[in-house]
Amino acid sequence: MSLQEKYQTLLELANQNGTTYELSEGEGGTLIVTGTAPSAEAKQQLWDEYERLDPEFNDGDFILNIQTAEAAAGGGMHTYTVESGDNLSKIAKGYGIQWKAIWDHNRDILKHPDKIYPGQELKIPM
Amino acid sequence: MKVKYFTVLAIAAAMFLAACGKSDADLQKAVQDKLTADGVSGVTVAVNGGVATLTGEVADITVKNKAQASAGAVGGIKSVTNNLTTKPLPVATPAAPDPALTGKITENLKKAGCTGASVSVVNGKVTVTGEVPNAKYAECVQVIMQSGITGIDNQLKKGS
Repeated sequence: MSLQEKYQTLLELANQNGTTYELSEGEGGTLIVTGTAPSAEAKQQLWDEYERLDPEFNDGDFILNIQTAEAAAGGGMHTYTVESGDNLSKIAKGYGIQWKAIWDHNRDILKHPDKIYPGQELKIPM
Repeated sequence: MKVKYFTVLAIAAAMFLAACGKSDADLQKAVQDKLTADGVSGVTVAVNGGVATLTGEVADITVKNKAQASAGAVGGIKSVTNNLTTKPLPVATPAAPDPALTGKITENLKKAGCTGASVSVVNGKVTVTGEVPNAKYAECVQVIMQSGITGIDNQLKKGS
């Protein structure tokens, strides 16, 4: 049975509840579903169906990457919340990027690259 | 008077069609039209003795299933042989280099309260280990799968 057959009920459900998706193939033939659901409820329906098909989500042959339309509108940035003891270099290192990239994307909220405060939400370019 | 004439004609025509049955050529056209009406394209239809055979390449299995249902719904079609194939899928590329993915997933797990899970990423494939509360399990897996990875080895355990 092909992976598309294994997960066909989930894909049918996506078509029914208004989720737009694209399929691609990942590591070792993994079936990847990348898409946008019209609501959090629609997204949850897909996850419920996935759980029915693979109760522990550990078959390792499928990746369900669905975001809600609302989240998709937020753009490709990742948000990092500053903690006590953080600095831009340290945060950047965690993402394998340069501190200056974070600085460049957060000049609207940061006055100086050395002055960041716990609780601030920084946009991380991915 | 005119109305009556048409009614008679319509009944006669219906009886004529029912008596003869539809030819394979008629059925072929009917199935093709039905597929078009249902938004299914790229399918070639052949009908032989009332059996419809579908060939061609479609986007994915849902289209293949839909084509089968549409063809089967046409009156006069006895059965459908579905020889449709699905389009080869494009190879996925990781959303970001491994260290960036690791950082993003780790931070998102922390935010979701999945502190017991740890991840390592190699060429976009993530290996998840550790243990998270049972009630949090699905949410933690969601966080990982939504990060733009291209493979997963999920060894995460459900705790109490």
